[in-house]
Amino acid sequence: MMRIFHSLLLLVGVVVITFIMVRLLPGDPIRAAMQQNVDLSDKNIVEEVRARYGLDRPVHVQFYIWLTDFIKGDWGTSLTSGDKVTSMFWRRLPVTLELFVLATFWAWLLGIPLGIISALKRNSWLDFFITGGSVVGIAIPVFWEAIILIYIFAVILKIMPPSGYAPFFDDPLKNLHCVLMPTFVMGTHAAGSLARYIRSSLLEVLGQDFIRTARAKGLQERMVLFRHAAKPAMIPVVTIVGMSWAGILGGAFIIELMFALPGLGRMGLDAIFSRDFPIIQAMLVVVSLNVLVANLATDIAYGYLDPRIRVQK
Amino acid sequence: MTEKTKSQEFEPRRKSTVGFKAVMRSLFRQKLSVIAMMIIVLLFSLAVFAPLIAPYPPDEPDFYYVLKGPSAKHWLGTDDLGRDLLSRVIYGARISMTVGMACTIFSLMLGTFLGLLAGFRGGLTDQFIMRLVDMIMIFPGLIFVLVLAAALGPGMINIIIAITLFGWVGVARLVRGQVFAVREMPFVEAAKAMGASQWRMMFKHVFPNCIAPLIVAAALGLGGAVGMETGAAFLGIGVQPPTPSWGRELRTGFTYLNTMPLFSIAPGVLITSAILSFVLLGDGLRDALDPRLRGMGRRR
Repeated sequence: MMRIFHSLLLLVGVVVITFIMVRLLPGDPIRAAMQQNVDLSDKNIVEEVRARYGLDRPVHVQFYIWLTDFIKGDWGTSLTSGDKVTSMFWRRLPVTLELFVLATFWAWLLGIPLGIISALKRNSWLDFFITGGSVVGIAIPVFWEAIILIYIFAVILKIMPPSGYAPFFDDPLKNLHCVLMPTFVMGTHAAGSLARYIRSSLLEVLGQDFIRTARAKGLQERMVLFRHAAKPAMIPVVTIVGMSWAGILGGAFIIELMFALPGLGRMGLDAIFSRDFPIIQAMLVVVSLNVLVANLATDIAYGYLDPRIRVQK
Repeated sequence: MTEKTKSQEFEPRRKSTVGFKAVMRSLFRQKLSVIAMMIIVLLFSLAVFAPLIAPYPPDEPDFYYVLKGPSAKHWLGTDDLGRDLLSRVIYGARISMTVGMACTIFSLMLGTFLGLLAGFRGGLTDQFIMRLVDMIMIFPGLIFVLVLAAALGPGMINIIIAITLFGWVGVARLVRGQVFAVREMPFVEAAKAMGASQWRMMFKHVFPNCIAPLIVAAALGLGGAVGMETGAAFLGIGVQPPTPSWGRELRTGFTYLNTMPLFSIAPGVLITSAILSFVLLGDGLRDALDPRLRGMGRRR
């Protein structure tokens, strides 16, 4: 209960911070938005538009109005396209959600088995190879990895599309073909840190007394690993899974641009460049809400994996 | 002569296992860390001596060579405006290294100060600082930096400020934890009993205990800051053209990937080797600074 209360408090703080951050954006956003088609020399028009967006009122009043509207589900209107932010958001959400799910899938598919293998074959050449690979996976910037993959698979081998997107329900095969590379790139960073953490936490657990006891009473190695070692070794790993979500979301910004995917990251990036502040604000709140929920889920998983934490509260 | 004195007499003098020298010795024993350090030194010298090393000024166009491959005149070829790619990449090291260093130094200073303050003052100060840390940590780093840098406007100083405002939180958390670990130890109590002021206790007695983890955090932070800077530059935020920067070069190179892959490869390899070296050095330092792991050659 304390955790939920704490998270709510954080959410309020985050909402205030995003509001301040977005208001810091230089240049009157209305002016910037109107530059293209409205005569700015006419003071009356400028004032009228400012009043329509509520920009003429004091900041705390603006905040109150924005917050109540936001909770009601009215996230404002895009300054550049004039569309409702909520409808833009729902239209683009499936793309990013798909990327996100598949990237997490890649991260687990690569990270978990590799981490376990390198812990079990400790100090072998295989371990050395995996450990080195995970450091590279962590250090390599997503855009550089994407360029390498595009060059190899799209330019030279021509077996992957360099960019583009098709909705899943229109053409499932083409859709998967298109998102294969981007999601792999998004997932490798998380996979690298996952493999590293699993390796070290599993090694630590395997060195403990109860594992020796389990082995001493003649259990098969597989039983020792999955029945006794797996659960305690998962505890630090859960933290990494929770934390990597934020990183995957951040990566979506770059990846969606490079692979021309019409997702939320692309929308956010465009909004940052065009100072479309209702979109930026909504995006920041949604992203932070997402991470907050992930953190909460991490805590709940902790309690499940380690009864001691549950008792302490 | 008994067995005991004999062994005392003939045992060769052990090398010390603590202090700066021992750490350096342990660090130099790891091949990867040595390679990483060599790459870092190389990149820093590229940045410092760019005018001496680069064959051309970074923004001098050669209109007869636009988007040409490697030749004797231009070793890595030329970019879309006919500028020498090698020279631009060498000059690009300046931006990334400066931003990386500045962000790390400022993050360390701000984070150490606020972390010490939070750990020592406790109460409301602690609550305020740590809740702020929690809030900033909620955001994905790149998104936070992008929005902040966009708010502050283009330019190197602003991207440094944006990355620093994100980077300090990890440092603060680390230092605060360290303060809590040593605050109740006898030597701090002794200092308090002798009438040391709070500031003196903070910087003379508690801060030295934070140095080892901070060095590791600095190396990893350098990698993170370079990654953020190049990422932001790749998206077009931060240092503006015509100033050469790796992230921007890579972005332009990406559009010519079909015709001239070297345009992407040159900055990409440098960015990756810089980040990778910092991360590897951080790992090596962590092992070298942890006396339990020292002398074991391999990690764990």
